[in-house]
Amino acid sequence: MTECPAGLPEGAEPAPSGGFNQFIGPFYRLPDQEGGAVRRFCFVAEEKHMNAAGSVHGGMLMSFLDVAMSRSTRLATDAQRLSTVALTTDFVGPGRLGEVIEARVRVTRRTRTIVFLSAELVAAERILVTATGLWKIPAAP
Amino acid sequence: MTTPAPPPGYRQTRLIDPFEIHVGPVFEKGEGQARHYAFRVQAHHVNLGGRLHGGMLMTFADLTLGQAVWDATGNAPCVTLNMQTQFLNAAREGDLVEVQPAITRQGRSLIFARGDFSVAGEVIFMASSVWKLLGQN
Repeated sequence: MTECPAGLPEGAEPAPSGGFNQFIGPFYRLPDQEGGAVRRFCFVAEEKHMNAAGSVHGGMLMSFLDVAMSRSTRLATDAQRLSTVALTTDFVGPGRLGEVIEARVRVTRRTRTIVFLSAELVAAERILVTATGLWKIPAAP
Repeated sequence: MTTPAPPPGYRQTRLIDPFEIHVGPVFEKGEGQARHYAFRVQAHHVNLGGRLHGGMLMTFADLTLGQAVWDATGNAPCVTLNMQTQFLNAAREGDLVEVQPAITRQGRSLIFARGDFSVAGEVIFMASSVWKLLGQN
């Protein structure tokens, strides 16, 4: 288990990692808000996450959304196998090197096999990204 | 971590964004706006279930659709405003993911670009996007 570096928000804990998540991470889970309605995650923007224009790469922001929204689906449903079906992302403003970028994820609706989610990415209370997505989960036996 | 060789007919794409260099390499074939792009799914691109991570597909989409926008505008500075992505099927380590990006409409300040991404001829992922040319109203 890795330690959390200094400068992360209070209550940050390393998120489960491996494969691509580990390759582009690390990611952290933050304490829920609004009685569990908002699940939160974060990462610190490093040089490897940037584009040549000095902003966090859009691919990194979408990857982080996929990580945070997949993890939120798993936490909300206990589903072991789940998959991203669709994700729509609006890029509202740029993220900068060294910033703590936080995901705030809500489950809008859960059906037997589909979970609807919305998320925003925030840095220093600026909204960087808003997103909505659909995730598929196995039907309960 | 070994760097995969270019697939037959492809050459390595020159990348400048640190994040793209981190997750690459990416390959291309053809010239100008008729270019195809590809990447080989490596061990560090998959999730714990052994399937290609959606984040890598979306990054590849941002890279290739953005390249198409650059080609169409003579490398004008631009940003992604919106991207819609749909995941049709899984890919696994060793698969070659290919796309030929298309410009759907090129306006004065907005450009629409999309792509169907396939493995062995089967579409596994689709992306459509809106880009803003900086400095154009």
